[in-house]
Amino acid sequence: MISRFVLAAGLALLMVFSGIGSYVYLGTRQSNLTAAPQEPTAASPSPGAFSLPGTLFMTQSGAIYSLSAGRFHQLTTAAGWTQLAPYPSSNLLAVKRSQLSSDVYVVNRLGRVLRRLTNNTAPSTNYDPSARHWSFYPRLSRNNKTLFMSYDKPKFGFDVPMSIWAVPLGGTIQQGRLWSIAIDYTGGDMQPLPLASGALIYTKYLYGPEGKLVSQIWITNQPEVPYGGNVLAPPAGLGHGRPLTKPEEDCAQPSLSPNGKTIAMICTHETQVSDLTLASFNGSTLGPRRSVITNQLVAQPTWAPDSSGIAYLAPAQLGQGFQLWWLPKNAYAPPAPSPVPTPIPTPGGPVSSPVPTPTPSPAPAAPVIKPVQITTNLGFDATSPMVWIT
Amino acid sequence: MTLAVTAIALSVGSGGFAYFLPAVSEAFDATGQVVDVPSPTPTPTGTVGPTPSPTTRTPGSFTVLLLGSDNDTKFIGDHVLTQSMIIVRVNTNTKKVVMMSIPRDLWVPLSTGGTAKIDGAYSYGGPGAAIATVENNFGIHIDDYIWIGLAGLVHVIDAIGGIDVVTSAPVLDDFYPHDIGKGNPYRYLRVAVLAGPQHLDGTHALEYVRSRHNDLQSDFGRSQRQQQVLLALKAKAAEISAADVPGLAAAMKGQIKTSMSLQRIATLLPVAASLDIKKIQQIVLLPPYTHGCGCPQGYVIPVWSLILPLVQTYFP
Repeated sequence: MISRFVLAAGLALLMVFSGIGSYVYLGTRQSNLTAAPQEPTAASPSPGAFSLPGTLFMTQSGAIYSLSAGRFHQLTTAAGWTQLAPYPSSNLLAVKRSQLSSDVYVVNRLGRVLRRLTNNTAPSTNYDPSARHWSFYPRLSRNNKTLFMSYDKPKFGFDVPMSIWAVPLGGTIQQGRLWSIAIDYTGGDMQPLPLASGALIYTKYLYGPEGKLVSQIWITNQPEVPYGGNVLAPPAGLGHGRPLTKPEEDCAQPSLSPNGKTIAMICTHETQVSDLTLASFNGSTLGPRRSVITNQLVAQPTWAPDSSGIAYLAPAQLGQGFQLWWLPKNAYAPPAPSPVPTPIPTPGGPVSSPVPTPTPSPAPAAPVIKPVQITTNLGFDATSPMVWIT
Repeated sequence: MTLAVTAIALSVGSGGFAYFLPAVSEAFDATGQVVDVPSPTPTPTGTVGPTPSPTTRTPGSFTVLLLGSDNDTKFIGDHVLTQSMIIVRVNTNTKKVVMMSIPRDLWVPLSTGGTAKIDGAYSYGGPGAAIATVENNFGIHIDDYIWIGLAGLVHVIDAIGGIDVVTSAPVLDDFYPHDIGKGNPYRYLRVAVLAGPQHLDGTHALEYVRSRHNDLQSDFGRSQRQQQVLLALKAKAAEISAADVPGLAAAMKGQIKTSMSLQRIATLLPVAASLDIKKIQQIVLLPPYTHGCGCPQGYVIPVWSLILPLVQTYFP
């Protein structure tokens, strides 16, 4: 016979445990909305990562990471690093961003800073915010002698447009030349992409036909001469640049294929969805557009150096951070189907009867190639271009 | 045996109660705010106001006035300007939603008397005055209001782990107010929110929707950005579970107020979850619906002959 005391104590203990248990259980039922993204080095990429050639560099939370042979490596601490671009000898150009300004650096593939290329800060005693500058989207010219970047000069008080500048490598902005004239109150011009021909592709922000701010891909073949004052519309008759896309396509982030014949870009069509769009490129104009991903929030399309596909960033689930995806070449350039064999009548049939025509079996349907999700639970910086080198 | 089962049920209930208590407490504080609609004062002679149709309730639909305020340390108590005013009409039968942003600088007769920028209505008379001013000028019946402060928006977005949004253009501002938190609220920050698809935390989302210096359309451009962020929030909110509510309530503490009762919110949540973002109609009162005054005060003149037919079409 259990004593009343033991029964009461047991019941009290049970009550305490069930009370605390229900509290804790409810806590475990929280969604993973607020979960911070995992560090790439702590994550296990999908098996698809092992088949990617070369090394892919990207940024998350201000740190630079590399992905090679299916493993992530952290190259720098989280210190505002973003916007990578290729640099000779397998090094990288990278932007280091602070609260008030950003500068361009050369970083080696182990994450060590080799050189600082810009100086956009101001003495701490200078309280004028406009004395600082931003440098974004650095790219080296094909002859490796000139640094192209988006830079906030000239600026006019409240109006801070970014323009494309070309600066001799190792030189100062005073030695630089203006390559684009930004439209005022738009944010300006971004993402320079120097071509082997010496021309330059970039993204221009402007007011579209319905008065909304949109992006448009432009090309120019020489520096501009500033005409002074504010510019509120694309210059007609002035300047050398011209658009490659229509304003309503709302395209940005151009990326040139290794053979230089195709441009991958994102186009939003003024919506909150960004398609991965491809277009042939003959050096001066774009061919018909082909959207190969239409149901994701695609950012930073990056060609594999061996042309085997395109990597890009996109959330697996809206609001859950940007993951690395891989679109194999067969998805957007399927191999030509093998020719259907001409049916040959079987000899030996009766001569008087018509020769039966065998029905050719239909060509097997090409398998649908889907993009491969390489990472989960990470949070890559979707405004930071990736670099992919062999 | 009965005693044991009752005791365990009670303790389980107590655990759940303890879990949700902070949220319930915050919800009671934030919801069911009494709206004191001020009695209208005659419009001063010489001020031409609109002549909208009388406001009526539309069966099967409800209308909410979303108010967003600078509630930084530059302001005293509840006397804040509403930097953002968005009328949201939801038709529960057709699942159609219309969002219309009202320019903060719109020059209108206020319900509290006189004519001023519409963002002052809340400052002079609280949410009741803001509601009455919108009703009197636009002829739209407002069922409820939701007010959120600057820090509240940051906390809410952080509490749900950020939002994914396509920022339509770079937002660069060398004179962004550095007024949230401690210190001199008249300092400036440099901000640069780059363009394109990206994941924004609360601070950067606020920078994106609040900056208006580097936008030719000024407040209009900002209204478009605010609507983008609202839709991204709606998309993310669909993933919230009941167990997330206490954390969210803690994040919103004192930064959100609404006239809706808890019961009404509970009724509307499934409706909100069922709405298709792609079918939401977004309206910003750009020219020709409004035009500048060409004056130092920078107010925006409404063209009522165009606005009222638009209102009758989308807010019948």
